[in-house]
Amino acid sequence: MSYNSGFTQRFSTSWKIFIKNPLGKAGLALLMLFAFMALASFALPFIGDMYDPMTGVDPLVLHSVGPSAVHWLGTDFIGRDIFCQLLEGSKIAFIVGLASAFISIVIGTVVGMVSGYAGGIVDMLLMRLADMVMVLPSLVILLIIAALFGQLNIWMIVFLIAILRWPAVARVIRSQTLSLKQRPFIEASRVAGASNVRIIFKHIMPNVLPLAFLYMTFRVTSAILVEASLSFLGFGDPGQISWGMMLQWVWSSGHMFQAPYWLLPPGICISLLTLSFYMVGRAMDEVLDPRLRKEGKPS
Amino acid sequence: MNRSLFLFKKTLELFILFFLILTVLFFLFRLAPGDPVTRMVDPMLTPEDAAHLIEQMGLDKPLTTQYMIYVKNFFTGNLGFSFHYGEPVARVILSRLPCTLLLFTTSTLLAALAGIFLGKLSAWHKGSRLDGVLSISALVCHTLFVPWFALMMLWVLGFQVGWFPLGGIISPELWIADSSFMIKTLDVLHHMLLPLLTLFIIHVGSYLLLMRSSMLSVLKEDYILTARAKGLTDRVIRNGHAAKNASLPVVTSVGLSLAFSINGGALTEQIFTWPGIGRELIFAVSNNDYPLAQGCFLLIAAVVLSANLIVDLLYAWLDPRIHY
Repeated sequence: MSYNSGFTQRFSTSWKIFIKNPLGKAGLALLMLFAFMALASFALPFIGDMYDPMTGVDPLVLHSVGPSAVHWLGTDFIGRDIFCQLLEGSKIAFIVGLASAFISIVIGTVVGMVSGYAGGIVDMLLMRLADMVMVLPSLVILLIIAALFGQLNIWMIVFLIAILRWPAVARVIRSQTLSLKQRPFIEASRVAGASNVRIIFKHIMPNVLPLAFLYMTFRVTSAILVEASLSFLGFGDPGQISWGMMLQWVWSSGHMFQAPYWLLPPGICISLLTLSFYMVGRAMDEVLDPRLRKEGKPS
Repeated sequence: MNRSLFLFKKTLELFILFFLILTVLFFLFRLAPGDPVTRMVDPMLTPEDAAHLIEQMGLDKPLTTQYMIYVKNFFTGNLGFSFHYGEPVARVILSRLPCTLLLFTTSTLLAALAGIFLGKLSAWHKGSRLDGVLSISALVCHTLFVPWFALMMLWVLGFQVGWFPLGGIISPELWIADSSFMIKTLDVLHHMLLPLLTLFIIHVGSYLLLMRSSMLSVLKEDYILTARAKGLTDRVIRNGHAAKNASLPVVTSVGLSLAFSINGGALTEQIFTWPGIGRELIFAVSNNDYPLAQGCFLLIAAVVLSANLIVDLLYAWLDPRIHY
């Protein structure tokens, strides 16, 4: 009970700091807009076959035309509605970003905690591995895997991005663990006979989770960008419409100089969504790290 | 530890990493569905030529022998034959390397220098309007979607305004006409400006943000207070005392963000049809030219690793506090 009320209080204090930050406010507002778009995409099948983002074709158009009352943002090269594709792309961006960030956070947190807690040779080996993975260009790796294994499906892409993007998280969690390890409560639980596994997951993990959660917002950003780049180059999941794929269609169908109504929306959406996750991350950073707050406020 | 031992350790580390990449790639090529022979030997070759190539790469031998031959071939510069060009892969990619290095190093250097300069100003005038504008623009630059931004640059500055050519690295008519060296250089520069500007804008934001936060923490140090107490001018404190130390993390980040820059570089090359390694890799992957894709990949890995080594050394050289 007391733990719960403490948590609620801590949360409300953090929330107040977060929402006072203009970056946090703007980022959250944008995120909600995109989340609404993603939710709206579930309604598309009920509106009519013509508005299916992948298979729906307007029989009266069949080529790319500009915005009208029937097609708010116009149609693509075979007459599919661009606005519907944009909604569907929003859903895919959220799925890719959140799923991939979540997996990389799990890997990074576990590696970071084990590395920091164990120390010695385990620490050295894990951190060397992290250094190695860190310098690998993810898009280039995904390209070579796509070359060898053919078209990748969306979950494969999510997973690959995640296993290439955990080292930064592991580094941060490791240094946090190193400082936690020195605290009396860890020593106390060790004396009380807690196993290493129990100490790591029961005592260290709750203390590093806020930091892991913060880093998740930055991982979301990079996962969305990598997936969009891959789709843009034509190696995305062919069964899923994504914003990157929409841009690829503009480019490969030769409409990029003729159809600004088609070129602008997907790019603006990708850039704004990643920006909003980034802004939320920066604002959370200030909540978690009092040194970053403006002077004059109690920290 | 002395300087040469540090150099040796770093080189050894990167060499091991490269070896690991080489090995993983070897197994990936054998694990992938289908016959590894069709991956390394052009299906268009005559049976005799194909047999010769199989023999040369040891594709008919057991896996361990294959691996030995693979490593030996790599270190003797034998990367197989490109299906598309019908030339040795090594020759194709080495001819693309200068274009990539030219674009890549110029844009990274310019972006880092500008980022350091603007970040310094931004931190110095913290809370001002200038700081606000710079920080927000840097955030936007940092999260831009590279291919889209490159397409926008191409559309606006190349197509609508018409200041820049729409792609490539040279105008063939100038080169056929046997123009002077000066005109040829200017022609390459003219083609390079748009991709350069694109990469510059994409990278300058993150350097600015990093320099800003690093500068802000340096400005809180005691020695800055000492410098003020000594009565030094703002300019001397800002440029001499604070900025010098604050720029160290930016140097490290050049190395760490290389992976990110390589991704952006490949996409930029692709859109501006700049004949570099990144574009060649994308071409090879699209056309199932496996030997070429493998070669491009290994070259990119080698470039990334050597750049990291250079950054590490540069850092050690810049920061006298480092004990190797």
